[in-house]
Amino acid sequence: MEDLGIKIIGALLTVVLAFTVGMTYGGIVRKLTARVQNRRGPVVWQNFLDLLKLQSKKTNVAHGFMGHMAPVWIIIAAGTVLMFIPILNGDLWFPNLTFHGDLIFLLYMMVFGSLGMALGAGQTGNPNSAIGVTRGLSQMVGFEIPFVLALVALMIQYKTTSIQDIMAIQAETGVWMMFSNPFAFLAALFASLGMFRYSPFDIVGAPAELASGPMSEFGGKYLGTMMTGGSIFAFIKLTLYVDLFMGGAGFGTGFIATIIGLGILLLKTFSLYMVPVFYGWISPRYRTEQAIRYFWGWPTALGVIAVIWAIF
Amino acid sequence: MNSFFLILLILFAGAGLSFALGKISSIISGTVAFLSIAAASALFFTQIEMGSFIEFSLGGIQLQWGINSYGYLFGIIVLGLGTLASLYSISYMQNKERTGGFYFNYVLVIAGMTGIIFSNDFVSFFIFWEIMTWASYLIIIYSGKNVKKIGIKYMIFSAVGAYSMLTAIVMIKGTYDTFLISEAINSGAFNFVDNIYIPILLLIGFGVKAATMPLHVWAPGAYNNAPTSFTVIFSGAMSKMGVLGMGLVLGHIFTVDRSGNLINFFSQFSVIALQQTIMWLGGITAVIGTLYALIQDDAKKLLAYSSIAQLGYITVGLATGTKLGVMAALFLAVVHGIFKGALFMVVGAVERQAGTTDMTKISGLIRKMPYTFLTALISIIALAGIPPLGGFVGKWMLYEALITESNSYFLVIVIFFSSTAAFLYSYRFLFGLFLGQEEKETEHVKEAPITMVIPMLILAVLLVITGAFPGLIFAPIAQAMEFIGFKDVTWNMSVLNNVWGNEMNLTYLGITIAVVFASIFAFLTLKGLKGTRYIGTKDISTSGEIPYDNENLTFQIDFFQPFVRAAAPMYKRSMDKIWNELGNGLEALFNFTRKIYTGNGQTYALFVVVFLVLLLLLKDTLFI
Amino acid sequence: MTSNNNDKQTIVEYIKNWSRKHSLFVMAYGTGCGAIEIPATMTSRYDAERFGIRGAATPRQADVLLITGYLATKTLKRVIRVYEQMQDPKYVIAFGSCTINGGMYYDSYNTINALDRYIPVDVYINGCMPRPEAVISGFVQLQKQIAEGNADNGTKYKENLEWYRTNQTKIIKNWRMPDYNW
Repeated sequence: MEDLGIKIIGALLTVVLAFTVGMTYGGIVRKLTARVQNRRGPVVWQNFLDLLKLQSKKTNVAHGFMGHMAPVWIIIAAGTVLMFIPILNGDLWFPNLTFHGDLIFLLYMMVFGSLGMALGAGQTGNPNSAIGVTRGLSQMVGFEIPFVLALVALMIQYKTTSIQDIMAIQAETGVWMMFSNPFAFLAALFASLGMFRYSPFDIVGAPAELASGPMSEFGGKYLGTMMTGGSIFAFIKLTLYVDLFMGGAGFGTGFIATIIGLGILLLKTFSLYMVPVFYGWISPRYRTEQAIRYFWGWPTALGVIAVIWAIF
Repeated sequence: MNSFFLILLILFAGAGLSFALGKISSIISGTVAFLSIAAASALFFTQIEMGSFIEFSLGGIQLQWGINSYGYLFGIIVLGLGTLASLYSISYMQNKERTGGFYFNYVLVIAGMTGIIFSNDFVSFFIFWEIMTWASYLIIIYSGKNVKKIGIKYMIFSAVGAYSMLTAIVMIKGTYDTFLISEAINSGAFNFVDNIYIPILLLIGFGVKAATMPLHVWAPGAYNNAPTSFTVIFSGAMSKMGVLGMGLVLGHIFTVDRSGNLINFFSQFSVIALQQTIMWLGGITAVIGTLYALIQDDAKKLLAYSSIAQLGYITVGLATGTKLGVMAALFLAVVHGIFKGALFMVVGAVERQAGTTDMTKISGLIRKMPYTFLTALISIIALAGIPPLGGFVGKWMLYEALITESNSYFLVIVIFFSSTAAFLYSYRFLFGLFLGQEEKETEHVKEAPITMVIPMLILAVLLVITGAFPGLIFAPIAQAMEFIGFKDVTWNMSVLNNVWGNEMNLTYLGITIAVVFASIFAFLTLKGLKGTRYIGTKDISTSGEIPYDNENLTFQIDFFQPFVRAAAPMYKRSMDKIWNELGNGLEALFNFTRKIYTGNGQTYALFVVVFLVLLLLLKDTLFI
Repeated sequence: MTSNNNDKQTIVEYIKNWSRKHSLFVMAYGTGCGAIEIPATMTSRYDAERFGIRGAATPRQADVLLITGYLATKTLKRVIRVYEQMQDPKYVIAFGSCTINGGMYYDSYNTINALDRYIPVDVYINGCMPRPEAVISGFVQLQKQIAEGNADNGTKYKENLEWYRTNQTKIIKNWRMPDYNW
């Protein structure tokens, strides 16, 4: 029972951590974007203020039951995936409910949230939402191909499909996956550009495109919950990348070590996050078919080379 | 009387009786059909003992009917789905004509499939196979539309498959002098080392039914043309007969060589070549099915193409030949039967209530048909392979088998591409029929009658259960696999394993999802409960405009235009064109032969006279 | 326009108002010629984002409606529809002299003279057109009103719906609106 109690507390702590870090990263990125554009920009905790305001709206409008369920599904997807990714290496304070979290399961669970939002956006009856959803789904087919190629390359090379095993191998050999299979890392990096929906792949949710596409009819608490889900997902994807390619984060057991481990995690995830953000500052927006063709070009070729590299 | 005889007798009698009663009323005819199928399945599930068989001789040939664990697995699908589908069909065919003929063929199809399961020897296998094919042909052309294009195409492909099967059977009789399946296998009939032709011929025959590329071109038209309550078992159960055959043949090829011979290099190479060919054919089938499903505007045709794609996955799984792969394939076969059956039932319910399945003409039915939508939602989640439902279990095992045990890593990418693109047409199905704008034309639509809703909900509940406790289906699958020749098939109730030692615990997954769902749903509903209001689909933000009633706010046409534009090169090639060109070429050849074989009686008489004259003239040189 | 103001708000109300005032989503709906000052306010030189002000694409996501200048009667009908589609609590900021007393078009047959008769307004910004500094001071004034708890005009609209409707239907001839479905 005690074990279960610690696990539950750990799970709650993980959720709080993901939420806080995700929203703060969003705020930091807004501030940095502003500085690049030679202006002051909002405060770093702006996303929290947005969330509080949205949750304190007095009336909320929904178009039906699926519209009400859409944010629920996103949070389910985010929460479940969060439970199955190891945050820190072998640590007491953030034990997840996972037992050998599996990569294939994660791939499919991440789609669960998008499906929920797509269904909710579909029920509103706004044609803009539907067009936005089709663009989003088509783009997803685009970037999933190099991502899966990279993951399959990793799985073949080390004969395991569990994230914890890959982290253990990196700890053993002392070499990050980034260097032992660089093509996989590059392919996955290109795929991450599509995942984080910054320019040039932000056609799905940009306010100027079709009145913000799928989210055009969501307001108040629904919009707030979706923003939370989006931030948690950003954190999840970054942690997944760090675990797979950059050796995870961990410093040992004990309270001080946990804090140091968290600091290392934040450092690594933030530096990885800067790649799509940097690229986004200087890019215009791609149309959907251009985006799909882009992903099926060089990133897929890199993924194929990664698989061949892994076989030999 | 022996239960095998009894079951088949009930089915045949039911067929005849419903035909006779069809003149009175369609509901009575349908009820008789349903009762006979229900009685047959009740007998099947209770009275049959595994491993029992009866023998009798018919016209000098020794026939043997029995049941083994492999057939039992498919019997569950056939009779279970058949019962639910016939219950569904009572209301579906309510106001149509010639229902006597329809139900006659319907029960005959189920009888044919049950007979296939009972057959322990090749002759009765072939007889029941042909009964099934002919009865289904008659139903496909039931509506009288497109007889030439679709019906004849189906007949040609089925005939080609059936005759190649017959050739294989005759060859087996000639080489091994037996018609019994188990004896033939034990003597090495499926040994790819010695006989190359027998397995390939059999695979062609089964591949037609299981819609493997390049033999899949009959499927979209046939699934679409048949009345929907037949398509439920057409796609759910009949295609599994092809899977049954393929599993039998491939299972015996890829497991340990039964006679214990050493496999030399040539035989190993040919076996590997066969395996890779079938795997890649399955993969390409999956991709083709998905790509064409994306661009369909008709919900039934979309599901037809999607069936082809899912059967491609099953073929790939069977061809891997390892324990995990074949288990994945058989599990996917069972789950596919359940969710495709449910989806076709949904389409049939919509067709009956709203009049058409064309997604450009109707939409927004979610408020009017909530139970139908619930079934569709659960079935689509299972089709897309999203956790925690049953489709994910099958897909997980398939991917693990491909990555860990076979060497075709690029096939994983092809399958994954098809699986991701499956999300697209899954969303299209749900959005096209149920979500979107509510139009005036569909205002009169009401929920489907109770005899249609109950089978749908039963199937949906089954999907949820198999997602959490797949072990319930693993039990018969393990027994079936042991019959084919695998040894020590292990399984768990809720934990999936692969050979590298990774596991996937479904109980934890289920609990996590339930807890998160409960908490966030409670939070979202209770927060600001008083201020939440629900509005209709006309109250959308159209830049302040108030749309007139005749203004079109529906988005259904050219739904996936960006994807189709990006993947345009993949759509240019079509298997249909290749077959059509082959047909045209053959016709040109036959036109040439027509010059001699004119079909005119006087020309033949002339030929006979000319031949006699030549004989008389040359009799000295020819007959010394 | 003042509503009941109790000088002491509860802690919860205080936090809510603090978050509302520091995060304003502006409906990007330029209705008149004053709209040309909006891009200048939002971009780098006069940066409105440091106050938490952001553009929102649809009325469902927005808090603040900017009426930027004169309103033709045609536009007024759409503006009323947009205002009713927004969710409480919502604020209206009126730019320019045209919304106060008709401005340059005070004797036109086609425009309205006083916006306050048709939808409730929180803050007027004077000028023709107001410069970005004036716009920002208007937003700061709105923030002050929110902090004091004075900015609940959405409820006021609900309560005096008949009065507003009478005024609106008097001036808009082809009134074809769906019922306001609270």
